[in-house]
Amino acid sequence: MTDGLKKKSVKCPQCNHQFQIMGKPGEKKIVTCDHCGLKGYIRFKKTIAEQKTQSSTPSSHSYKDAIQVSHLSKKYKDVIAVDNISFKVKRGEIFGFLGPNGAGKTTTIRTLLGFLKPNAGTALVGGLKINDHLVDIRKKVGYIPGELALYEHLTGKQCLKYFSDIRNTDLSLLNELQTIFELPLDRKIKTYSRGMKQKLGIVQAFMDDPEIVIMDEPTSGLDPLLQQKFYRFLQNEKEKGRTMFFSSHILSEVEKICDRVAIIRKGNIVALERIEDLKKKKGKKIRLKIKESNEKLTSFPNAKQVNGWIEFVTEDHIDETIKKIAKYTIVDLEIQEFSLEDIFIRYYDEGEDN
Amino acid sequence: MQTVSQRILDILRFRIAIQTIKDYWKSTLILTLLFSGMAALYAGMFPAFEEMMVEMGESGALDSFAFIPGYEDMASYVGFLNMEMYQIFWVLILGIIIGFLAASSIAKEIESKTIDILMSNPVSRKQIIIEKFFGLLPMVLIINFVAMLTVMMMTIAIGEDLNFWHLTLTHLISLPYFFSIIAIGLFISTLFDEKMKASVVMMAIVVAMFIFDSIAEMIPDYETLGLISLKHYFKPYNALKLGQIDATGNIILILVTIIALIAAMFYFDWKDITF
Repeated sequence: MTDGLKKKSVKCPQCNHQFQIMGKPGEKKIVTCDHCGLKGYIRFKKTIAEQKTQSSTPSSHSYKDAIQVSHLSKKYKDVIAVDNISFKVKRGEIFGFLGPNGAGKTTTIRTLLGFLKPNAGTALVGGLKINDHLVDIRKKVGYIPGELALYEHLTGKQCLKYFSDIRNTDLSLLNELQTIFELPLDRKIKTYSRGMKQKLGIVQAFMDDPEIVIMDEPTSGLDPLLQQKFYRFLQNEKEKGRTMFFSSHILSEVEKICDRVAIIRKGNIVALERIEDLKKKKGKKIRLKIKESNEKLTSFPNAKQVNGWIEFVTEDHIDETIKKIAKYTIVDLEIQEFSLEDIFIRYYDEGEDN
Repeated sequence: MQTVSQRILDILRFRIAIQTIKDYWKSTLILTLLFSGMAALYAGMFPAFEEMMVEMGESGALDSFAFIPGYEDMASYVGFLNMEMYQIFWVLILGIIIGFLAASSIAKEIESKTIDILMSNPVSRKQIIIEKFFGLLPMVLIINFVAMLTVMMMTIAIGEDLNFWHLTLTHLISLPYFFSIIAIGLFISTLFDEKMKASVVMMAIVVAMFIFDSIAEMIPDYETLGLISLKHYFKPYNALKLGQIDATGNIILILVTIIALIAAMFYFDWKDITF
């Protein structure tokens, strides 16, 4: 593809004859069927990356990672909200940013978009530094705020028109998004339900065909059916080459749609892994009761006591574990498969103990 | 990446300013009706008050209005208009209202959290301040222009004598006064995250400036106190009666506008937007 030419197979609508044509992305070509002589137009589709290259200078597009956070810290007065975090979001992936409320997810996101100033460290979004290229960054980024607030006195349409006017684009993608999300665009936003507002938030974020979409808990307020629809929509958008950064406190949705996940806890990234690798970290969750006093069981440093039960997680060495606990008089024993949920909780517990 | 000229072109499209104008069109309409109504009322009432004013002037009762420039001339049409309409309704009441609205404009976006979605679009914070400023100007221009026409029509209707050029001049020089109020209001608006707080502080500032200048007018010892009041630089009486404009005063008001805008732009650019 060095010369930018693309091959495309076409099928003549009249005689079903199949043949191949060449053309540049975005080119509109007159094609004549060499079988029956029918003439028609074919437009070569552009990928998002190709579309953007034309509208901006190449330098803004030569970035490797969609988001690159390095040693970012943010304090509010005396409270450290984000503590020296670093991670990268690759282009074209769906990246999950998982953590409970108050872990620093929103702070990180709002720093990336320039609403908050970092106390230390920096980040590149779309290859541009957040310290001095915010307007250019915002051109390539769509954003769904965690606490979504829209201009309630406007109708859905007026609100979208306002944003597309600021972005200096038209509403050409609106029809496509509207068929998916079906919004009452002529009604005032103040009459919208929470789910409708959230859908409008989604539509405005994707409307300008952004390279990167940053979403802060976008599924909050969506009913389960809509959530499923939204997940499918994200998968579809991923196939178009869009990068998506997705924060959530719900593990199951991150597991379902993300390629990689960073787990944030009290302002620190405690894990950053591919979902598949995370799932491979199998192990067993062991719960047992012993006749001896619980304090005597000392060989498992991460063991916890819950309602008289001793609970701990073991990764691979089930044989070793059983032999260790065999020294005690076991009253009751449960061995469970280790779920992703447990991995998640374990990351938190470990942190808590430290 | 954008060049500077592209950025300037982006600002010149004034999308946020246009939306601000749309958002305030109802307020603009109501205020225009209100202030034109007041203008009509005061101008139209003059014939009924004239005799009383003359008597008050002779008995010295007008001296209690000594804090208002041009009070001695209250028995004339020009003096009456200056006192009742321009000094009270224009400088003070319209000043308070415009200051109130300007001070709420940024703070309300933060308070209602719409600032996040607005700023996720390619706009800089400095641009938001500039556009909000321009978005608030038409309100002042429309209220001014319509009220001026109303005074002209009422003057013709009651057959009084008034130099219409002087009247136009009075309204023209009131613009820098209101521009500076809008700019200071915007600056105050960036300092607070709650619109009511910002608005109340701004109202207090406008009232305080009125009081300072009034004290300075009455008590010569406190003359310097008037210098920190914007009202000191807008003297409708001199323009209305004599067609004089205080060039220095107008330049000071324009400078105050620019300085307050720059302060608002830099402070807003610097601050963290937290909820």
